[in-house]
Amino acid sequence: MNGTAVLHSIIDGVLTGSVYALMATGLTLIFGVMNIINVAQGIFVILGAYLSYALSVHLGIDLFVGLAITIPTLFVVGIVVERAFLTRLKGPERVVMSILVTYAVSLVIEGVLNLVFSSNYVELHAWYVNRSVKVFGTYLPYIYLLGFAMAVVMLTALYVMLYRTRFGSSVRASLADQTSAALVGINVKRVSTICFGLGVAVTAAGGMIYGATNAFNAASSYDLISRLLVIIVLGGMGSLGGALVAGITMVTIEDLVGVVWGPVWSNLSFFLILVVVLSLRPQGLFGKQSVRVA
Amino acid sequence: MSSSTAFLSFEGVVAGYGGGDVLKGVNFTVQEGGVTCIVGPNGSGKSTLLKTVSGLLHPRLGQIIFKGTQLVGKSPREILKLGVVQVPQQHSLFREMTVEENVSLGAFLVRDRGEVSRRLKSVREMFPIVATRAKDKAGSLSGGQQRLVEFARCLMLEPELVVLDEPSMGLDPKTLRAMFDTVKLMNEMGRTVLLVEQNARQALKLSHHGVVLENGQVRLTGTGKDVLDNPEIGALYLGGTIQAQSQAPEDAAIKEAE
Repeated sequence: MNGTAVLHSIIDGVLTGSVYALMATGLTLIFGVMNIINVAQGIFVILGAYLSYALSVHLGIDLFVGLAITIPTLFVVGIVVERAFLTRLKGPERVVMSILVTYAVSLVIEGVLNLVFSSNYVELHAWYVNRSVKVFGTYLPYIYLLGFAMAVVMLTALYVMLYRTRFGSSVRASLADQTSAALVGINVKRVSTICFGLGVAVTAAGGMIYGATNAFNAASSYDLISRLLVIIVLGGMGSLGGALVAGITMVTIEDLVGVVWGPVWSNLSFFLILVVVLSLRPQGLFGKQSVRVA
Repeated sequence: MSSSTAFLSFEGVVAGYGGGDVLKGVNFTVQEGGVTCIVGPNGSGKSTLLKTVSGLLHPRLGQIIFKGTQLVGKSPREILKLGVVQVPQQHSLFREMTVEENVSLGAFLVRDRGEVSRRLKSVREMFPIVATRAKDKAGSLSGGQQRLVEFARCLMLEPELVVLDEPSMGLDPKTLRAMFDTVKLMNEMGRTVLLVEQNARQALKLSHHGVVLENGQVRLTGTGKDVLDNPEIGALYLGGTIQAQSQAPEDAAIKEAE
């Protein structure tokens, strides 16, 4: 272990963590507005990665340019899933049922991806994936920097949308109290559908970066969803700021632990932090203690 | 109260939750321009009735007609567009949003930003707290202040009918009086008010009409004074005991504050 390695792991963690934060923000937005735990978020990320892969390999479209196709595609996929399966969920069992339903959706998509792409690992390629730039004495792949920039741009856009637009006000009102939101004329159902679409759409961007930095197949979604769930639970379910802070912090600590104590400990540290934080703050870092009124 | 037109009418309204009916055939009318107060013991269906007006609960049977338009089956949004606004029993401000954001959301259905600004200005004049605490989070206000901001928010839509569900709930006696004064003021500004209130005597005093609901049905209607003076009403509130004619504890508290 040396100073450069530690610095490298911190920079690496912040850059990668921002992409996880983006994917987790989508997940926590869906939970906050809809009270739905979307365990299909992991497979949506992989679906996004495969879409980028298909556009890149078969049509020669650049990974970032391809986002102009994959993001709207996953937005539509999200809307279809929400309309077809989730609007039917009502009553006190809604949260638990949402886990089962989205898990079923996840299994179906996983099966289709295995059929179409096989279970062999693939990776996304582009000139910026394998080239690096020297920063503070350490080499950083361009894809990490570009991924970070993309995450910052998308998260900023999301926050501007939430805090500066009429639709954003309706989302924040729905996040706070759906009955009160309905009583001021907000179409909570429509807001929910769009939020689900947006929450899934961000996985297209996250999936592209994930696929460019990891070899993946459909089963990679399990590792992803466990990490994303840890991030939103740690940040506080439904807290957008919490997802951002927890995403960056967790991945950075994981990378740092990998360098300091060895890779064996890095995965464990991810879940160990969760256990410690939840035992001190059961509502997560930025979660509210009050019980949500359905 | 300027006319005796049937502004809002309930015709055989049956509604409830799950398998049971809370409202078992409610019939009465609300006159335009007045304050109508619905009173009744706990569990009589007062709040349930208001939920059917605002579209939060759809009746199983019956009709609710507002100025000739059927409200049954309409969404809260469609009902708001007709000019019917409800302030619910529980505090309904968005706690993490500022006072100004909350009040502006009252005009969510109004697309014209200039018009929203004009209404905001007018509401600020009526409720100074909207201006003085504009940038504070709504969750930092006291219960009484939150209620006033909720009133301000509901007026942003310039509604024809304001539906208030137990506005005095959780307020201290002094704030209670200010709240009732505001209800009166809203009515004087031309808003028809339909009010459910546990603090029955105080509410009936300012109401033009009173409706007594018992076990999901209308037991008595009349002027506010008629209902107030009816000897059976006290008994209904106090569980049929000999305390029927005694003052409600809330009234005593108000007098003390005065």
